[in-house]
Amino acid sequence: MKCKLSTHLKLFSLLALWLFAAPIRAQTQSISGRVSASDGGPLPGATVLERGTTNGVSTNAEGAFSLSVQPNATLVISSVGYATQTVAVGNQTTINVTLAAEATALNEAVVVGYGTQTKTSLTGAVAQVSGREVQNAPVPSFEQAIQGKAAGVFIENSSGKLGQGIKVRVRGTSSVSGGNQPLYVVDGIPIISENLSGTDAATNPIADLNPNDIESMSILKDASAAAIYGSRASNGVVLITTKRGKAGDTRFTLGYQTGLSKPTNRKKFLNATEYVEYFREAGKNANLEAFTEGRLRRYSAGNDDYKTGAVNTDWQNEAFQRAPFEQYDLNVSGGNDKTRFFVSGLYSNQSGILIGNKFEKMATRINLDQKASDKLTLGVNLTLSRTRNNRISNDNAFSSPMQIVALAPITPTIDPRTNQISGALDTLTGDPNSNYPTYYNPVLSRVGASYIATVYRNLGNVFAQYEFIPGLTFRSELGLDLLNQEENQFAGRVTSRNNGPNRGDGFNRRLTVARFTTNNFFTYRKTFNENHTLEAVVGMAYEARQRKSNSVTGQQFPSDNYKTIFNSALITAGSSRETSNTLLSYFGRANYAFANKYLVSASLRIDGSSRFGVNKRYGYFPAASLGWVVTEESFLKDQQVLSFLKPRVSYGLTGNQEFDDFPARGLYSGDAGYAGVPGQRPFQLANPDLKWESTAQADIGLEFGFLDNRISGEVDVYQKKTRDLALNVNVPGTSGFVRQFRNLGKLENRGIEMALNTRNFVGDFTWSTSVNASINRNKVTNLDGQVIEGGLLNRAIEGQPLGAFYGREYAGVDPANGDALYYLNTTNADGSINRATTNKYDDAQRVLIGNPNPKWTGGVTNTFGYKGIDFSFSFQGVFGNDVYDGGGKYQSANATGGFDNLTRDQLNRWQKPGDITNVPRAVLFDTPRPGNNFGTGGAGESSRFLSDGSYVRLKTVTLGYNVPSALVKVVYLQSARLYLSAVNLLTFTNYKGWDPEVNADYLASDVNTGNISQGTDFYSAPQAKTYTFGVNISF
Amino acid sequence: MKKTLQYLALAVVLAAGPLAGCNSKLDVEPVDYVLTEKALLTSADVEAALIGSYSLMSGNRVYGGYIQFIADLLGANGEIAFVGTAVQPREFIQKTTLVNNTFSAGTWTDSYQAINTTNNVLANLDKVVAVRKDRVEGEARFIRAALYFELVRLFGRDWSDGNPQTNLGVPLVFAPTVRIDAASQVSRNTVSEVYAQVLSDLTIAKAKLPASNGFFATKGAASAMLARVYLQQGRYAEARDAASDALAGNRYPLVPSFKDEFATTTNTSEDIFAIQITAQDGLNDLNTYYSSSQRGDIEVDTSFIKVYDANDERGKLFKDKTYTLKYEQQYGNIKVIRSAEMHLIRAECNARLETEEGATPLSDVNTVRNRAGAPALTTVNLTNVLAERRLELAFEGFRIHDAKRLKENVGSLPYNSPRLVLPIPQRERDVNPNLVQNPGYL
Repeated sequence: MKCKLSTHLKLFSLLALWLFAAPIRAQTQSISGRVSASDGGPLPGATVLERGTTNGVSTNAEGAFSLSVQPNATLVISSVGYATQTVAVGNQTTINVTLAAEATALNEAVVVGYGTQTKTSLTGAVAQVSGREVQNAPVPSFEQAIQGKAAGVFIENSSGKLGQGIKVRVRGTSSVSGGNQPLYVVDGIPIISENLSGTDAATNPIADLNPNDIESMSILKDASAAAIYGSRASNGVVLITTKRGKAGDTRFTLGYQTGLSKPTNRKKFLNATEYVEYFREAGKNANLEAFTEGRLRRYSAGNDDYKTGAVNTDWQNEAFQRAPFEQYDLNVSGGNDKTRFFVSGLYSNQSGILIGNKFEKMATRINLDQKASDKLTLGVNLTLSRTRNNRISNDNAFSSPMQIVALAPITPTIDPRTNQISGALDTLTGDPNSNYPTYYNPVLSRVGASYIATVYRNLGNVFAQYEFIPGLTFRSELGLDLLNQEENQFAGRVTSRNNGPNRGDGFNRRLTVARFTTNNFFTYRKTFNENHTLEAVVGMAYEARQRKSNSVTGQQFPSDNYKTIFNSALITAGSSRETSNTLLSYFGRANYAFANKYLVSASLRIDGSSRFGVNKRYGYFPAASLGWVVTEESFLKDQQVLSFLKPRVSYGLTGNQEFDDFPARGLYSGDAGYAGVPGQRPFQLANPDLKWESTAQADIGLEFGFLDNRISGEVDVYQKKTRDLALNVNVPGTSGFVRQFRNLGKLENRGIEMALNTRNFVGDFTWSTSVNASINRNKVTNLDGQVIEGGLLNRAIEGQPLGAFYGREYAGVDPANGDALYYLNTTNADGSINRATTNKYDDAQRVLIGNPNPKWTGGVTNTFGYKGIDFSFSFQGVFGNDVYDGGGKYQSANATGGFDNLTRDQLNRWQKPGDITNVPRAVLFDTPRPGNNFGTGGAGESSRFLSDGSYVRLKTVTLGYNVPSALVKVVYLQSARLYLSAVNLLTFTNYKGWDPEVNADYLASDVNTGNISQGTDFYSAPQAKTYTFGVNISF
Repeated sequence: MKKTLQYLALAVVLAAGPLAGCNSKLDVEPVDYVLTEKALLTSADVEAALIGSYSLMSGNRVYGGYIQFIADLLGANGEIAFVGTAVQPREFIQKTTLVNNTFSAGTWTDSYQAINTTNNVLANLDKVVAVRKDRVEGEARFIRAALYFELVRLFGRDWSDGNPQTNLGVPLVFAPTVRIDAASQVSRNTVSEVYAQVLSDLTIAKAKLPASNGFFATKGAASAMLARVYLQQGRYAEARDAASDALAGNRYPLVPSFKDEFATTTNTSEDIFAIQITAQDGLNDLNTYYSSSQRGDIEVDTSFIKVYDANDERGKLFKDKTYTLKYEQQYGNIKVIRSAEMHLIRAECNARLETEEGATPLSDVNTVRNRAGAPALTTVNLTNVLAERRLELAFEGFRIHDAKRLKENVGSLPYNSPRLVLPIPQRERDVNPNLVQNPGYL
């Protein structure tokens, strides 16, 4: 049978028509009532829902509601912050309910794949994060605000640059060559989250979302929860639900926030006097004394100031800027029985701590729900946004602001010969300086270059939901995520030492990614004979993604005033590209509960993907789970201590297909033209058996609550075994290829997660604490002998965690002569390891020297409230990981790297026989000693530059004041809140670099080795410490 | 209840039923690339792959720079200094190349990428129309030979160093790669086997190539490359004759002014074979590392500049008496073989053999000197010819290879020091245990 998708959709429509036509006779019953809060006042905006249906209304300003329901219906009455109540209607026509202030989150609806479940009935591992956690966080992207707040979810910023890629790992890293970021789904529609940067540093399309629109987030962690997303679920799934309107008065909420950012840390470098003394010594030891003196004079703007220390520049200061932040946002929500709406707008403008870095966001949203009839609900969710990111060079560029620290402190910021910025002009030629200062001065890029990435994002979906008979609904969703990005780069003449003598360089790239999704599924919910509750979902989805881009590069501009390529005399490159993929899926899930005690769930997803080899088109992803609500058992009814206890267990298969669109195909590329003559070359070897990476995950969890759930929490133990890794395998270069994509190898993640919430004080003074901790052990179990390197010393090695640091082991300094020593670590004839040392770097065997993966991570949040005042603070910690300072060979290697300024710890270099130190003899350019043909200054990559990267951060502190309602009502407001907040206020670490939360962007975004490249610092900017003041009012 | 079950059953059937045949939506074809099975069907396809071989050969890690400056840095004995911050090139000049040096690994992998492409061309020659078949074959063989020659010189011991019949060169691969399997783990052929292959390819190329072929390989280029290979082997008579063949008919006259030969964007009359770099294509990494307008990482020592005669134009082709001006053009061509080299090869061989085939050594040397404005010599011996070679061909990738064949020390290292041979890249040995490492490396 041959069929097209349209045929398929037609079948669904037919079914829908047939069901529409089916006579459904049901009697209804009208009820009305009033919902009040436990303090006695009316509760407006509470949801009154007929259980098992989507039939419901919200209470009005007086807390009143009216609703028509089926006979024997049960009402579920809920409101944020209150415990949900269930009321059997029976033959009542008036129902008045008082909701108690929420004791626990157990009855909260949890968004899961293609539906919702209550926390009590859930048998999978799902971390929920309330939208409150990300509201008004002064960061470009919401993931940054939940760092340390969800167990099993590790979030790392690569540096303090704004709008950059962010590493999110749910239960460890499960791919070596494929993607490792979770699947992001907004209101049911998977969205574009891949890196779309035109440079070596990743950007983050998630930053286009407005965090203030987020109602809740569910992070699906185990197979039971995630497997319904099939071949994209191995890395976890983040389901984002946006805010919706509620029936009742139209409510306006207006927010304003302003603040300032600073770097979390500064490094200490040599001052001018120390620098001169140090390099004279290094020059002498290299037998380059005259040469060194000439260079010192050159870097001292050609004068003798260096001899007196008259100029002492702290170049680090020049890398940072004053970094203000401001944000305005407004949302309006409301509605009636038929129509509900939520409309929002946000504008934020955040300057980065690094010169030239800024992130600006404008976002609007409208979410609309319309009850067309008792049976049919229609709706739309639509967000339009624009972000503008003033980007800066990647960490490995001379123009990257942090690389400014390499400049000599004897170099003045302003060249006294020209009164221009040092490096701006050569006094003789008028051209930019080629050998003064030491390197290209990044400040020149601040004044003479710009790189602006603008993204227009249109993310929307429309949906219709029809209820055929009570309990059976069909929902159809049609979503489009359309992302248009423009990157506009210009570097003027003054930057030519960095960009080449091209009289200006311009680069412009446009990219459109369109992602079309349709989900069509039936949901059936029914309780039979009181005790048997069944929920089932079955449906299909189709997704198509297309990515098109074009770019043009030009040089030779008449002057720096001309910045568009229209004005360029020489077009040096141009390109247009296109790629696409499709995914056709079928899914189903059934949950069965007996007496709310015994819970069973099973799901299956079938994914067909255009990315898979022709022999492996469809993947099957089943999962099953069991749960037992022990506290529902009669034998636990008569005690007060244990209020909730639910062990659960799950097992299932998930997949990962985040790799290129055509990795299975044998390809030629036409990019091999030569001097204007077209040419082609072999590009990729075919692999028709290529398929998804497959992860089998087992999870055992225990959810508990004590003392009326004043203490509640959950513990999970899991094991994720991934096989058929889609690996970019190194192949012999003699084949004409360096890598091939193959399903090869295995790895595993094992871990324990714990989350604990306590309400320590209730009443006027409230204090609650939330703690989470996660341990994940990653291990590459089989690579078939392949060695895959990444970063500077990272490797994928069998038996070791991914990205383990593998290199030569530094043994300190020979007290006799100041040579750097390394442990040989060769294997002796008897099998023992030779721990003798050598001063010959090459003779030392490489060994495991560290692990970039944390041993455990966690967070603690304390929240206090007293009358209108609230105060909260969160600590976040990462422990047991190592960080490799890739800049160490230049910044901290006793002048072996040239005239780069050095960190102050280098002052402790070996100077005379007998000196005991860890810093070798200062020797310029690592010049070998006479008679040697190898340097002994210790500049090679080794454990010398590796250190513990553990840290604890005071991540957020917020002090808020809610103006008493009596007072705000005087000015016709409903509420008003003022707050002071700080992010990254304190960092505790032994790491000697700028900031231990680091992963050099140009390494982390390498398509082949990015996953392996972890924990490497390379002039990476420290995180920002941000203070803000804000106000929210609603009326 | 019954009805409900019917609905559900229908829904399940509808959702799962079409699965069996609904594949068409998943048949997405690449747009940016062509499937391998459709790539080499016609003569034009194969000729495009030949151009692809040139493109790969012109890569910055191949003839676009690395091959030449690795040879200069390895052969440097105080004439030049590497002052840049990059660690890897400095390893070459300090003769402390590490096995994980990615520059040398890049030259290895990229050269083989070009070689595999030529192998694809040669395996599909039957598709090339008859009138162009010989030329296409000759060009592909020329490229393959040139790269094997460079690889064996960089990664193997010199021909003159020990026994080339047993010394290991580089693996010879002739078949287009269609899959990776155990057979892909090739072993190193001996130095002698590699030279034999190079000579065989070049000899065929010389026979099949036309005399004139734009900036692509020509008969002259094949002769010139043969002269270079024979010279490296010390086969002076053959080298002399091949050089004479290249110079025959004055097809490649020297450019009147020395400085005009360099930093050109098109081939000059003197260029027997040059890599084409344009603003749109290719990267001239000699410009990157030598030019003061770029990184200016390689500085020339004044002691070397002083060797030139005061009137010698070649001694003036320096900026600030520090930077060579041979590579001032960012998009300048990279001269792989200039006819001046052929004069010097012929002069050297004639001087060694005490013959005067083609021209006297004095005449050939003075041809080169006159053009540069250096005073003519009245007599020449071998020493004069070799000295002239250093002056004329400085910074063009000759130094280490000349030092080796002339058995000259490089600094304190003897010509046959293992430190002057690049290590087999670690990445290669990691994936191919059959590759034996060079002496002196782990």
